[in-house]
Amino acid sequence: MNPTRLLASLAALVLALSTTTATAEPPQPAAAARGAKAYGRYCVSCHGTQGDGRGPSAEWLDPRPRNFTSGTFKFRSTVSGELPTDADLERTIEHGLNHTSMPHWRALTAVERRDLVQFVKTFSTRFATEPQGKPIAVPPAPKVTPALLAQGKEVWTKVQCASCHGDGGKGDGASATTLRDDWGQPIVPRDFTSGPLKVGDRPEDLYRAFMTGLNGSPMPSFAESISPDEAWALVVYVRSLRKD
Amino acid sequence: MRAALRLAVTLGLVAFATRAEAIPAFARKYGMSCTACHLAWPILNQQGQAFRDAGYQFGTEKDEPTTVAPAYWPVAMRTTPAYQYTRTTNQESEAGPITIGSGGLPAGPAADLLTAGTIARDISFLLVAAGFAPPDEPASLESAFVRLSNLGGSSWANFKIGKFEVDLPASPHRGVSMTSGYAIYAPRQGSAVPLDLSANQVGVEFDGHDAGSVTRYAISLVSANDDPGGKGPWSSPLIYAHAQRSFETGSEVLPWVRLGLLGSIGWLPTTFQTLGGENISGTGGDYKTYSRLGGEVTGQIGNPASPLQWQVAYMYGQESAEVTPGEAKATFSGGWLELDWVPVSRNDYNATPYLVFARYDMVRQGAGPGDFDGLTLGVRRYLAVGPRASAAVHLEVSSGTSKGTAYNGSNVQTTAAMAGIDFAF
Repeated sequence: MNPTRLLASLAALVLALSTTTATAEPPQPAAAARGAKAYGRYCVSCHGTQGDGRGPSAEWLDPRPRNFTSGTFKFRSTVSGELPTDADLERTIEHGLNHTSMPHWRALTAVERRDLVQFVKTFSTRFATEPQGKPIAVPPAPKVTPALLAQGKEVWTKVQCASCHGDGGKGDGASATTLRDDWGQPIVPRDFTSGPLKVGDRPEDLYRAFMTGLNGSPMPSFAESISPDEAWALVVYVRSLRKD
Repeated sequence: MRAALRLAVTLGLVAFATRAEAIPAFARKYGMSCTACHLAWPILNQQGQAFRDAGYQFGTEKDEPTTVAPAYWPVAMRTTPAYQYTRTTNQESEAGPITIGSGGLPAGPAADLLTAGTIARDISFLLVAAGFAPPDEPASLESAFVRLSNLGGSSWANFKIGKFEVDLPASPHRGVSMTSGYAIYAPRQGSAVPLDLSANQVGVEFDGHDAGSVTRYAISLVSANDDPGGKGPWSSPLIYAHAQRSFETGSEVLPWVRLGLLGSIGWLPTTFQTLGGENISGTGGDYKTYSRLGGEVTGQIGNPASPLQWQVAYMYGQESAEVTPGEAKATFSGGWLELDWVPVSRNDYNATPYLVFARYDMVRQGAGPGDFDGLTLGVRRYLAVGPRASAAVHLEVSSGTSKGTAYNGSNVQTTAAMAGIDFAF
């Protein structure tokens, strides 16, 4: 190998390693050990002892429980493809996920929930080797106006939401029946006309979903294709589809 | 007559198994292990308490019957075939005071059929049929209620009507002991007041809670069990209230503590129209009052997933003069110390295989006989049968002494030992 290229490669490797070790937040051993006890009590029947989403109840649940081993999490505040923050994982544990069998665990102590987060991180080597993402900025919600609503509809068309979610947002778009997640399971687009999102019912939950995407699912991030203003307009339009 | 009543109450405190509620149908509905909602079934943990307080709902759009497989049926059963030996001292006989010791398995083990859940968002129910032990114990409805939750969109306003257990510091129906009950819940020795807090009551309840049931309250208006039939708009009314508040300490040693206060006042009719010397139900008047006041502290030591949970409860009771004919104002007090230890919790499909439990009960009468001291010890070994059912090997011994309640004025000591399998599906 060309010595110059070798040196450049080594330098790049050292830089990458130093970056990784500097920012990765591997599980805290003591907290993870405590969390393992809570995981056995509360989580294994769905997520399995190996965290692979293959607990004895998993086959009967729709949607299937999360497989933790790949480090792929839908509901994050981080950029598409990145690992979630600890706070993202704790939020899911605390509040649960609508339309799924994941209940809220508000009755657990805060320490228990944080310990569970640390133990869940042990299932994927990514947490030991990759930095966890940083939360994206969520600008303040604008005032809802007819013009913003109209702009939202334009954005809806621009990013082709209807192809999956349907013209009326009922989750019945042309490709809706063909969608699968990263694990090959059929996945249904959200019906925006009824009920809250899985992750929550606040406008910022919708904004975050648009700008971070849902890792492991066909729902992409639009952070590269729409501006924050357009994202808020889309939020307003999508919330206007709600009929219940 | 009074001596017989005292003896019956004494035996009732220590000798008869307490039937308990655990509903594996919920585990099947949500796919969760029993341990998610039970410290060790049937004892609820905080998550189970929050689920119960919410009207058997988690609120994730997966509670309604339309969201579960049509094959799902919200029915569970429980039975506890067991050997039990009971020994009771100072029983009356023609030969003088004798000790009776007897053991065996009941010819037909009792069983509970339980169905509970939601029929729509915020409308839930519980029905428990208990008994089924022919030929001498007919089945009966132990619980039957309908609950409307989140009235006006608020978790602080819920309404229950039917037959139910009032909100007690420790539920005898979800307690772990099978040979002894919480002594202070029982009627006072020799009293005409029939209230047994261990028994379910018939009436209505308003209750409320915050997210996670950190703070919660319940106020019930019931006709106390064994209501003799008073006249007026509400027969033999009993108002009962209980409130609890939990605290997270952040400590690894004592991570969680919950305080509770309770109070109740009841009115018992003391005079009746009669026919052939028998009271006519529904004619009772000349109401006299009786009351309870108490509180409890519950805490966990160690990891909440495998804690030593402890509870200290105290209750003071008062009955006005002539509630019991010929008696002056009566008082009594008592309580218990209960320890429930889950020594192991692990990342396994049988995450918490053991429960060790102990309880000391105490009752003190303001005057007269009937002071009671009791001790219960036991262990349960939960078997690995998956998240859709459960079974546990149950070993328990208990002993209680009731002072001065034998026919000859001496003490009555009752000792019980049992070994069996607690089976729930």
